[in-house]
Amino acid sequence: MSLTTPLKDKDVMDLEVGDVVYLNGTIYTGRDMAHIRIMECLREGKEPPVALKGAAIFHAGPVVKKKNEEWEIIVIGPTTSARMEPFSETLLGKFGVKAIIGKGGMGKSTQEALKKYHGVYLLSPPGCAVIQAKFVQKLSTVYWLDLGMPEAIWVIEVKNWGPLVVAIDSHGKSIFEEVKEKALRKMHEILTESGGLS
Amino acid sequence: MKLIDEKSLYEIALELVKRSCTRIAPDAMALLKRAHSNERNLAAKKMLETMIKNAELAKETNKPLCQSPGYPVIYAKIGCATKMEANIPKIFQKAIIESTKKGYLRPSIVHPMTRKNPGDNSGRGVPDVEVELDPDIDYAEFIISFKGCGSEVANISKVLTPVQVGKDWIGIKKLVLESTIAAGGIPCPPTAIGIGIGGQMHYAAKLSRKAVSVREWTDINPDQELAKLENDLLVSVNSLGIGPAGIGGDTTALTVKVEMASTHTAICPVAINFHCWVARRSGVRIYSDGSVRFKEDMYEPKNEIIPCKGNPFSANHILFKHRRPRIH
Repeated sequence: MSLTTPLKDKDVMDLEVGDVVYLNGTIYTGRDMAHIRIMECLREGKEPPVALKGAAIFHAGPVVKKKNEEWEIIVIGPTTSARMEPFSETLLGKFGVKAIIGKGGMGKSTQEALKKYHGVYLLSPPGCAVIQAKFVQKLSTVYWLDLGMPEAIWVIEVKNWGPLVVAIDSHGKSIFEEVKEKALRKMHEILTESGGLS
Repeated sequence: MKLIDEKSLYEIALELVKRSCTRIAPDAMALLKRAHSNERNLAAKKMLETMIKNAELAKETNKPLCQSPGYPVIYAKIGCATKMEANIPKIFQKAIIESTKKGYLRPSIVHPMTRKNPGDNSGRGVPDVEVELDPDIDYAEFIISFKGCGSEVANISKVLTPVQVGKDWIGIKKLVLESTIAAGGIPCPPTAIGIGIGGQMHYAAKLSRKAVSVREWTDINPDQELAKLENDLLVSVNSLGIGPAGIGGDTTALTVKVEMASTHTAICPVAINFHCWVARRSGVRIYSDGSVRFKEDMYEPKNEIIPCKGNPFSANHILFKHRRPRIH
């Protein structure tokens, strides 16, 4: 399925766990420090530098190079989303973010926020930074570069970026939760067989 | 005996950094391909295919495989015959800074508390240099390993008591399985799991990192008891079904490596160290006659593949062919 940002409720509500998505339009990168600063903006009543309503936030920090005063992308790929778990409720509830993209999965509070405010978590293949840089049309601009190259907010135009897999949908389903439940049952089985849980 | 000077070591260090960032170690690639052909979950198979394609593309285009360079550790092994006039940490730091300027490494090293990023991957104690003296070798060996830090988030260490170790080391096995489940997709599976057992906490932690950073992922532990434990753990971990990227599947780990040191009678420290599939490891040997050989160029997969008994998803066990250096 092909989607274009800014995303609407309907766009994400049609998606289910396991669906494959290709994304077009503007996306923003954001890691720990950018998230912390967005929360500071909220506390101080300031506007963040990017429009977050209907936005897709990519947990990523690219490798970039400046060439003739323009930023050029070398590679880009996802970072561990679990670190951004504390921000999901606010990002979706207060700012209207619709898609979170990253790797490794997210937890219960994100799952609940995605259901409550209609959002989706998309998984991007981990460690595959060369392939993903190919979908970048343009690095439009950068905010908060004082945070360092990885932690700044990079505004990126993408075309047909994918395949991204819907890993947590807006109906409360999560691939990671299902995988974890199965794994726990299997571990119990292994340890019982070995006599470790008698 | 040829002298290793600052200039020649710097050139070698630059090459090591470039190689390790733009390609994955050949042993890891062999395991990825094997995992891909064995994977039964279709989405997981696709994920593995993308990983292999990305690694091949990075090598072709000389680009960093992954946007995050992780954290660098240099493992140096120095023989008695080695003559060296070079400040090893300084030379590798210089090579890392230069490679950052060239775009092979994203500037990712920061002050741990202020989070200030100097912008060139320099910083106190970076890279970590671990030096070992070995009187029996006639070369100096340098292995550089950039290990991703998503996988670091999932690491654990615990000092077990003898009772907690339990019969047939069930306590250790339980710790490995629990931490693998807690880690889920976070450490970018399929992973290599390094396990350090013994010493004190710091020693176990160092062994756990070394286990997945220095050893080839296809080797067999010369300690038979540990080789068996590695195999048992690999079978158990892969039966959990966490899969590539954590989306479910047969391939959760490519290999499990255990390193051990004796400990005190009261304790059994255990450290579990996850390495993502991106095996950015490159090594070199500088022989006493001055000849330089890169370890991955010396890597020769053995034709004869010995799969582990009863485990279709285990390592290929392609044996590393040790070439004895010529003695002058």
